Formats: sequence, structure tokens, C-alpha cells
Amino acid sequence: MANSVASPATDGASTRSSREADGQRKLLARSRGRFRDSPAALLLLVPVLILFGIAVVFPLIDTIRLSFFDIKGLGKPKFVGIGNYIKLFTDPAFRNTMWTTLVFTVSTTFFSVGLGWALAMLCAFAPRQTLPFRVMIFAAFGISEAVAGYMWIGILRPDSGGLLNAVIGLFSPGFAQPWLGDPRTAIWALVATATWGAVGLPLMLCFAAVQQIPKSLFEAAYLDGASHWQVMRNIMVPLSMSGVRVAVFINLLGMLRAFDIIYILTGGGPVRSTETVGYFMYRESMTQFKLGYGAAATVILLVAVLIVSVPAIIQRTAGAR
Amino acid sequence: MRLLRRTLLAAMAATALAGTSLPSWAQDLSGELVILQWQGGSDGELWKKLEADFTAKNPAVTVKELVVTGQGDMRGPMRTALLGGEKVDIIINTWPAFRAELNDAGLLRPIDDLWASAGLDSQLDQSWRDLSSTDGATYGVTYTYGNRSAIWYKTAHLEKAGVTPPKTWDEFLASIETLKGAGFAAPIAMPAKYWAHGEWFETLLLRTGGVEAAAKLAAHEIPWTDEVVKTTLKKYAELLKAGCCGTPEQMFAGDWDYSADQIFTADASNYLMIGMWMNSRALNDYKLKEGVDYSIFQFPAMGLGHDDTSSVDAKEVLVTSNGTNPAAADAFLAYMVTKDAADILASYGYASPSKSADPSLLGPVQQVATAAVAASKVQFVLGDLLPGDLVDEYRVQLQKFLQDPSDAMIDEVTAAIEAKAAESY
Repeated sequence: MANSVASPATDGASTRSSREADGQRKLLARSRGRFRDSPAALLLLVPVLILFGIAVVFPLIDTIRLSFFDIKGLGKPKFVGIGNYIKLFTDPAFRNTMWTTLVFTVSTTFFSVGLGWALAMLCAFAPRQTLPFRVMIFAAFGISEAVAGYMWIGILRPDSGGLLNAVIGLFSPGFAQPWLGDPRTAIWALVATATWGAVGLPLMLCFAAVQQIPKSLFEAAYLDGASHWQVMRNIMVPLSMSGVRVAVFINLLGMLRAFDIIYILTGGGPVRSTETVGYFMYRESMTQFKLGYGAAATVILLVAVLIVSVPAIIQRTAGAR
Repeated sequence: MRLLRRTLLAAMAATALAGTSLPSWAQDLSGELVILQWQGGSDGELWKKLEADFTAKNPAVTVKELVVTGQGDMRGPMRTALLGGEKVDIIINTWPAFRAELNDAGLLRPIDDLWASAGLDSQLDQSWRDLSSTDGATYGVTYTYGNRSAIWYKTAHLEKAGVTPPKTWDEFLASIETLKGAGFAAPIAMPAKYWAHGEWFETLLLRTGGVEAAAKLAAHEIPWTDEVVKTTLKKYAELLKAGCCGTPEQMFAGDWDYSADQIFTADASNYLMIGMWMNSRALNDYKLKEGVDYSIFQFPAMGLGHDDTSSVDAKEVLVTSNGTNPAAADAFLAYMVTKDAADILASYGYASPSKSADPSLLGPVQQVATAAVAASKVQFVLGDLLPGDLVDEYRVQLQKFLQDPSDAMIDEVTAAIEAKAAESY
């Protein structure tokens, strides 16, 4: 009898061990099933694999290959090994672009996600009434960056004809700040422009996350006498974090690769103050046609994107089977 | 039968010999002529007219434009097309450095034989041939050129301030002071956002060191730290210290088109140094009357011994080595310097270097510009002669100079450009 009574710990261990064995058996059975289905599965996968190979794997491998060559214009490629990478990290212009990329990416993500999240919280209190408002904000996310860029050129014009200067001019007549011409303000003008375009997605993601919260939680909180502020702080904020995480991930990736808005608004200037890695890559590859050097910058950017995305993907898909 | 065979063979040999002895452009032309086209707008229209006139003269030839599009430096899209395997007969080019690059890649066919057989000497001076030559061989035919040492102004502004177009450097500096007194805070519209702030440096360099120094600098036969470059920048600094152009932030805020707006629509500035394409903008966009509402004057004399110099740009047509219709390509090159082509160019406000061109067809501003070039020793615009990565560094360093035109900064920026030049050649 005494032997039949196990301590909770022993009992738990034996149950765990039995579950593991059971799990292994199921996994083996599924694997056998997979092997049985494999010819058909592989056949069905072939078109996708071919497309993936052409659209993703080949360009990726070719870019890495190019990064080991010195290619100038239409001239013949010359193998330089890791020469382009060594040159990149000793190039003050590239080092400057890494810092600018960091400032631009982090700031834009911070402002767009922060603003989007805050708006989502407010909208959640009156979802129906704020629908047109949410649609309008999200519409900016759908506008092409090129179109948005030209629109913002009009807003940021350096003379008093620019919308921003004109508005400030109402309080300070004759005000004319060259927002894009001043290296101190140009990067922040870009951050503002990119934030304007990006805020719609965090708003929708965070709003959707709030909508997922069971209504019973709110009802219980209000029945217990909680105020709006307490409901927001103790229920909405913590339970909307899944949306915030996705928004941060998507924004970081998008801003790391930002190019269009920079190309149109500042062209990387003045004095390279707004040149990000994405723009540097374009300048080296397309305007100077140093394809090898540009490819090396692309690989560095790819590594940065992987550093951001791999942990996020692992975390997001950890529970998936 | 044997006699017949011999006769036939002899006839075939004679035909073949006759074919090779004739200049290819003089043969009956047929087939498709492919032109790599990167110009749009009114320049694109001009090309359509030229092509239509050429095909009217050669009805068996059809012209196809392989159009590449982009913004800014169009060499990128052109390279992409050529590297992608596109085959064209004609390339329109405006960058001598790009001609050398195409030649190094084996894409160009020399036209020295064509020059002789088509008698192009009777249409173009040797200087134009030299301009289209690389490593001693001729590759292109220049069909238009522009004065890049002219300063554009709105006549009403100068009249209002009581200023006449200045002829000397001192008069020019004095006019800036006068215009500021008349209420124009920044008399020179300086478009320093991308590249156009280099225009002032390039003409100042010519007037300081002459075409020889400019050519040596372009070929890196003298360093960027040379005294002639520093003296040029000190002259540039005189302008900036005279308060010519507003703050550096204002200069960085716009490209040449924005600067043109500041003069011709906003009435905020007075002088703009830019190429002859400004004429088309003034006529078509601002609807101004050439020579009445606006005009140009040649860069003022500096008294440094090189006042007979002018910076020019030019466009040429090149024939490719892998084109499928070389005969039509040769004929097209010869056509581009005929009177008919020059007349079409003039109708769009462009000057032709052809001896058959009629200058009276040009508007008054173009006549001033072409007369100034004719009276000058010319040097191709420096920015188009430098290697790509160097020209980028040169423009960025000039932006730094605009922020701080001190002697110390001159030393710093010339050293930075020279460091880049050392690895670019």
C-alpha cells in the first residue's frame, strides 16, 4: 500500500514521463505518416520551392556572391574576398549611415507604435464612433511612400509657402525654417514623415488586440467599481501588448529598409545627415554602380534585419506545431 | 557552264568589293534602328521629331526607342539595360566618363572611318571631335551643347535695383550688395541640395586656373590640395561672405528648379547659375519672354588671366559595337549634324555645333550663350568628368564648405576630396 502511494513529486514525474513517451509515440506515428505522404507532398511543394528559389534564394546567394567582387560600372568584376566588408567598416560615410539608420529606425518605431497604441486605447472606448477616424489614419499607411514624400515636400517647403511654416507663421509672422535643408532638423522631418505613414498599422494591431479581450473582464472590472483609467491601466494596457510586439517588429523591419521617403525628401543630405544604410546601398549600387560594394552593404543590412526578425519569429512561433 | 560559273563568281566578288568600298552610311538603308533613350518631356519630343525626319529621309528604316526611366543620374538605368543584355545601335550620352566606361566594356565602335567617309570635318570643328574622343579614337558625334558659365536673371529685378549686368568680379560683388539693399535677402539662388552648387566652383576654377588646370584636376594630374583649387574656393568664399545666398540651410533646401522658382515666381532671389535647359523652363513653365522678361550674362571677368574660358556641357550620339544595324546607325550620326537636324534642335531652343546651323533661328538668350562659348576656350563640366564616387564626395565636401567657408575648412575639404581621389583613379 505504502508503495502504491507516491509523493506528489514522484507522481508528477511519472505522469510527465508517461506523457513524454506518449508524445514521442505520436510524433513517430506522424513522421511515418509524413514519409508515407512525402512524394505527393513534395510534388505539391515543388512549384512553391521553385518560386521561392527564384525569388528569394537565388537573389540572396547572388548578392552574397557579388559582395566578394569589386565591380565598377560596366567593367569586369574582380574578386576581392572580404575586401568590400573591410572597406565598409573603415568608410566613415558607412559608419555614419549605421548611426543614422539606428536613430531613424528606433525613433520612427517609437513614435509610430507609441502614437498608434495610444490612439488604439482611446478608440477602444468608442469603437463605432471612431471608425471613420481609424480608417483615415490607416489610409495613410496605404499611400505609396513616393506619393507621401512629394506631399510632405509641400508641407516642409523652406519658404513661408510651406504648410508647416505657414501654420507657425500665424503665430510668428515671416517664419521660414528650411526643415529639410538643416542637418539638425532634416532627420526629424524624416522621422515625422515616416511616423505619419506608419502609425496606421500599430493603431489597427493594438485596436484588434484590445478587441480580443473578453468583455466579461471589463464588465467585472466596472462592477467592482473600476474607473476608465483603472480599466485601461490594469486590463487594456497589459492585454494589448501582443499587438504592440507585432507592431514593433513590423515597424523595425520596415524602417531598417527605408529608402523611398529618404530618396524623395532629402536624397540622403544635407551633408549625408539623413543617409541610412538602405540609401547608402542604393547610392553605391545604382548611382555609382559599385555593385560589389553595394552588395556588401546589402548583406550588412540583411544581417541587421535578421538580428531583429529571427528572435521575434522564434518567439511568435514558439507554440506552433 | 564553266565560263558561266566564273562569270557569276566574278560578279559576286565585284559586288562584295563594291559593298565594302562604299561608306556604310551611304548604302541603301533599311531595318530597325534601336536608340537607347533616357530623356523625357520636351527633350523626348525633340527626339521624336529628329527620328521622324530621319525616317522620312530613309523610309525603309524604322526607329525604335528603348526607353529607360529614372530620376537623377540616368547612367544607372542605362547600365542596367545594357548589363541586362539589351542591344541598341545608338546611345545618347552626355558624360565623357560614361563614354570611357562604355568603351572599356567593349560596347562602343570607333567612328574615325565614318568621320572621314561622311566628311564630318565639314560639319564639326576639330574641338568637337576631340570632345567626343577617348584614348585617341573618336566615338561620338556631338549634336548639341550648352553654356554652363552663364548667369540667369529676371530683368525686372535688376531694373528695380538699378543694376546692369555686371562685367567684372568687383561689379558682381557690388551688385549683390545693391540687390540686398533693394530688399532681396539672398541675391544668388544657390541650389545646394544635390549637385548644382558645384556649378559656381567649376566656372570659378576655370577663371582661376584656366582650362589646363581644370583638365589636369579632372584627370587627377594635380591634387585637389593644389593651390589653384584653394584659391578657387577662396574666391567662392568671397561670394558667401558677401551674403550672396542666405544661410547654408536655405541653400541645402532645394535643387535648381526650386532655386529657379525663387527667382522667376517668388521674386526672392536674382541670379542663378545653371545650364541652358533653364531656357525651356522659363519659356514653357513660367511663360516668360526670352530676352525681355529674363536673360543671361556670361560669368564676370576676374582679371586672373583666364577670363576667356567657359564651362560647357554637350550631348553626343555613340554607336555600339553590338548593334544590329550599323549602317543605319552611321547614317543617323551623320544626320545629327545636318542643317535639318540643327533646325529642329533650334526650334526647341538647343544650339547645334554644326557649321550648317543657322544661329539666327535661336532665341536671344541662346544667341548670347553661343556667342560666349564661341569666344571662349571651353572645358567640359567637371562633375561629368570625375569618377562617380569622387564626384559624390566632391559635392558633399562642397556642402561642408558652404557651411563654413573659412581657410581651415578649405584645407579640410580639399584634403577629404583628395583622399577620395587617391582611391578613385
